[in-house]
Order: sequence, then structure tokens, then C-alpha cells
Amino acid sequence: MTTADQGTTRPGIRVGSVSEFTLFFRVIPGHADELRDALTALQNTPGYRPGDYEVAIASIHEARFALFDDDTRLLFATSFDGSWDAYMEDFAAGPLQLFDAIFRHTEGYAGLPDVAAVKEFILGAQVTAAAYARNYPGTVKELRKAERLRGAFDRVLDDPRAEEALSHPALKPLLDEAADA
Amino acid sequence: MSTEQQPALELDDIQAGALHERPSPYVGRYLLLRLHDPAQGRELVRRLHSLLVAGNRAQGAGAQAWATVAFTWAGLAALGVPRSSLDTFPREFREGMAARAHELGDVGASAPEHWEWPLGTDAVHVAVSVLARDEERLEAVAAGARARYEDLASVEVVWRQDCYQLPSGRTSFGFKDGIGNPDVEGSGLPARNSSERPIKAGEFILGYPDETGSLPPMPQPDVLGRNGTYLVFRKLHTDVAAYRRYLRDRARDRDEERMLAAKMVGRWPSGAPLALAPDADDPALGADPARNNSFGYRDDLRGFKCPAGAHARRANPRDALEDERSVDVRLHRMIRRGTSYGPLLPDDVLEDDGVDRGIVFVFAGAHLKRQFEFVKTQWINDGVFIGAPEESDPLVGGAHAPTDFTIPHVPIRRRLRDLPSFVVTRGGEYCFAPGLRALKWLGDLDS
Ligand code: HEM
Repeated sequence: MTTADQGTTRPGIRVGSVSEFTLFFRVIPGHADELRDALTALQNTPGYRPGDYEVAIASIHEARFALFDDDTRLLFATSFDGSWDAYMEDFAAGPLQLFDAIFRHTEGYAGLPDVAAVKEFILGAQVTAAAYARNYPGTVKELRKAERLRGAFDRVLDDPRAEEALSHPALKPLLDEAADA
Repeated sequence: MSTEQQPALELDDIQAGALHERPSPYVGRYLLLRLHDPAQGRELVRRLHSLLVAGNRAQGAGAQAWATVAFTWAGLAALGVPRSSLDTFPREFREGMAARAHELGDVGASAPEHWEWPLGTDAVHVAVSVLARDEERLEAVAAGARARYEDLASVEVVWRQDCYQLPSGRTSFGFKDGIGNPDVEGSGLPARNSSERPIKAGEFILGYPDETGSLPPMPQPDVLGRNGTYLVFRKLHTDVAAYRRYLRDRARDRDEERMLAAKMVGRWPSGAPLALAPDADDPALGADPARNNSFGYRDDLRGFKCPAGAHARRANPRDALEDERSVDVRLHRMIRRGTSYGPLLPDDVLEDDGVDRGIVFVFAGAHLKRQFEFVKTQWINDGVFIGAPEESDPLVGGAHAPTDFTIPHVPIRRRLRDLPSFVVTRGGEYCFAPGLRALKWLGDLDS
């Protein structure tokens, strides 16, 4: 690549710390079955297996692929922490390459290792959501920490001495939560 | 395009100011010039070219002075660079720093309408910096530079800023600066950080493969872009009295004051990194270039030694984000060539004396957007990446002022509240420092 990046970018919508990221691809005619196999393989990798909660990219809230229009088109939809524009280079240079086995069944994908081309390909597939809402604030990091704290608080409450311990005035906010935590 | 073999850096064509370390201590001067006539502008460029050729030849221990020449986009236009070439520069460079103010968090007192004239206006065309070991030698080079524009009536000096580095390397807040710089592959300089592979030269100099395996986008024609680098400079005023008062108010005693200050920076005043010296300053470590930048944060992911929100850890999280795979830290590095301006506030003074002091922040790199702007907007202004979206950099501020700053500590974390902004942007510019052949090409343009 020797020319400046002058493509117009269509940023995903941001709610709080989180950006939506929605991509639409066309499946190469005749590749639908292979693509389904690749998606099934993805679903069986660590992080994508049901109950894993360990997507390889730590800033991703959730991700889905969906085939539609008689398997002629593919949707990828996700939400991640950070601003849309800033992270595209990083995604193209690393994590999105995990999807090489999927993207190769879609039109316009030149393949690795040309990172600039991968980025162009992704930007070309991006569509800004027409409406987007979230039901909880916070980054994945904060939510994981909240989960850790909640686990710790539960262990405190399970201790028979919890009521006595939580009756210290400094712990009043915790005691207020304890009745139905 | 991807390449396996690594072309050697054309060190004799790259301006020495970009890759070479500078003398320490030094004194220096920044000049901004405005060109009112393209032909005289090109005459100036031809003369500056000869100054830089001489400077590059003299590199090494015997060097007496260091000069760097760079252009804003308006400056390239003022020289008569054709539109077809101007259009090949990246958008950020074409727009200039003032146009990016909102993105960069230069709002309120830091907004361009309050900047020093002519910073952020199209009157800034050429930036020249000269550095030397002492005043006398600086005067000699400056005179050499002056002789190159004095008789050119249409070349106007629109801004001048004297600067310096103290023997201790310390800047206005009292901390040694200029330590954390990347090791650059092929630069010929000794590697300082044993815990990290050197960064590909293409991250800093145009025309070489970068960390993605591609060539960075390069302005055209090839002769103009090759061996060039983008320079960002920002004059940053530091409110040292407010900073000291804040620490004094929050600390129980002077020891705690020093500890809080170090936690904000990520290093002690001597330069010793908290990652290696978590409990007290270690001046011998701070002074040792073989050790003071050789560390990572992997053994301290929760930030008990160095908080994730500390300035230096934000600006370069090193290996701290490796497991997260959301970001490749190697794509967001920069060479820093910052310097001090204005007299230091004497020790223990807590009231502002009204004197302007701070740093002239200087960045060199191949990408304004994914290096300088990324670090400033995602890591310094914002805390999403460390799971603290409401927190900004405690030292240099950002989008959320006043901000909080969390200091992990066993048994109970400490949280500093309501840190005001201690830094105000006085202005700045995005510049392009061409290689020497490119400079010659610019001087010989025929429009
Ligand atoms: C007045 C404003 C600033 C002050 C006083 C300041 C001060 C410092 C200090 C004391 C250090 C630690 C010493 C060192 O590692 O060299 C440092 C490191 C650093 N700063 Fe700043 N800084 C300022 C603004 C900025 C800005 C605006 C940026 C970037 C946009 C930045 C980027 C960095 C980087 C990349 C490092 C090195 C981190 C590393 O590699 O470990 N600084 N700064």
C-alpha cells in the first residue's frame, strides 16, 4: 500500500464504552457448505464453546455469525469496548485473522497476510446499526471484576458470622445489599 | 505487500534528529517559519539541506549540534508541492493538529482558540529545531541557520521557543523524562529493553516494513516519502504549583507525597521504574540506561507495583495487555524527543509564580493516527482499556477532568479523587520531516 487511507469510515454506534460492529458479507457461490463447516468448527474452538465465556479477544462482549438469504449472505455482529475507529488496525492485524477460514468463503477477501487489504475488506463490509441499545453499562473488564466481587460477597454471606461482621457502620452499604444478594 | 528480507536503513538519508539520541544535557531552540514566496521558500530548503547534510556527516561522538527540519501540510503547499502529491498525505496530517483538537481532547483551556499564535494556524510552514551541548555551540549553529534565511525577505520567523534539558534529565514536575523509547530494529543503537523484541523500523521511518509486515502508507512521489517521518510537537504548560498542592493536600507526610507522585508517573523522580523499584526510589537504577528501561508489567497485571493508570504505563502498557488480544501494543509506539521550556519552579514553592513552564512534547513515527492519536485518545484521555472508563491520565489529564486515579494497594486500594488537569496545551503542529534526498527534491521543485 502506498496511498493514503482516504476511504470514508462508517463508525459503529457507541453506547457508553461499547461500540457495535456489524459486518455483512456475500458468500462465494458454491461455498455455503464449506462456510457452514468452518462456522461449526469455530463454534467448537475454545472460547466459542457454549459456556466458555472466554472469547479470544478480551474486549468483546458477545459475537455471532449468521447465514441468511438461503446461505448467500453472512452476518457478523459483535460489541466491543473502545472506539470503533481506533481499533480497526489492531483487529485487522491480529484477531480478525482468526476468521481467515471463514472469510475465505466470502467475496472480496484477498486473504492473509496483507493486513492493509484485510482492513479494507472489513471496512467495506461494515454497516452502521440503525438502532442500538445496551441494557448494562460497563466494560468487559469491569463486569469480570464485578463478578469476582459478587462471588466474594456471596462467600462472606455464606459464613455464619456474616451478620455480625457486616453490622460495623463502615459496612452498612454492604449490609443493605445482603438481604437479597 | 509483505516482505521477508529487511532492507537496511539508509541512515545517511534519514534526518539525524529522528533516530539518534541527543546529547545530555543540551540547550535548544525551536523556530517556526512562514513562507510568503515559493521560490524563496525552495531556496531556503536548499540551504537547510546543506546544513543537514553536514549535520548527518558529523553524527557520532564528535557531533556539536543537531538540527531537524520539518514541514506542515500548509508548508509543503507553500513550497509548491503539486496537489496530486499533497493529496497522498494522510488525512490527519492534511487537517493539522488544531482541526483534530476535539478528538485529541484539546478542549476548554487547551482549545485552539486559546493557543499561542501562530500555532494551529496556516501561518506555520517550516519547523526548525537546533540543539547543542551548550549555549555557545547553540549560538553557532543558530547563527548558521539564521544566515540561511536572513537575506530571504519572504521568509518570516513567526515563533521561537527556547528549550533545554537539565543534566538530571528532569522536567518541570521533577521527574526524569525521555527514558522510555522503543528499541528500533536496524538503528545501530544499543537495545535497552531486554524483555521486548526491537520494533520494526517501518513503524518510525517511511519506506520500510512495519510491524504488520506491510509498508506503511507513504506520500508520493516515492522520493518525497522515503526515509521521512512524521513529527508531532505540542507545547504543554504544566501547572507545577497546583500539582504540588494537590499532592501535599492528599498525602499524610512527605514520604507519602513522593509515593503518590511516583504512582502517578510510573517511575520515581530519578527515572527508576516502579516495576523494578516498587517501594522506594533507586537513583542508581534510574541513572543506568542498561537497566532503567528493561522491564515489563506481566508480573504485575493488577498494578500493585505500578498502577495500570500511571502515565508511563498508560502511554506504553508494554506486555500488560498481551493476553487480551484486543490490541497490539507494538502498533502504538512512538519515539519521543521532548524537551523542557521555562525555568523550574523552585523546590517547595506551592504558589504559582505566573511563569510559563512545561515541556515541548515531540513525537516521531510513521503513523500520526495509530501511534500518536491512538495513544493520546485511547490510553491517555480515556480509561476503557484498563476497565476504568471514567479515569484519565493522572499526570497529563484528558477527557475526564477532574478525574479519579486508582492505586491498587494491599490490603485496600487507594483512590485519589478530583485530580484537576495539571497540563494545558498551548498549541502544536503535525509536521513531516523528509529524508535528505526528499529535501533536495523539495528544494529543486519547479512549479
Ligand atoms: C506535560 C505533559 C507530559 C509530561 C510531564 C510527561 C512526563 C513523562 C514522564 C516523567 C515519563 C516517564 C519517563 C520516561 O519513561 O521517559 C513519561 C513517559 C512517557 N510519556 Fe509522557 N509526559 C507528558 C505528556 C505525554 C503525552 C501527551 C504523551 C503521548 C501522547 C506521552 C507519552 C509518553 C510515553 C510513550 C512515555 C514512555 C512510556 C514507556 O515507554 O514506558 N507523554 N512521560
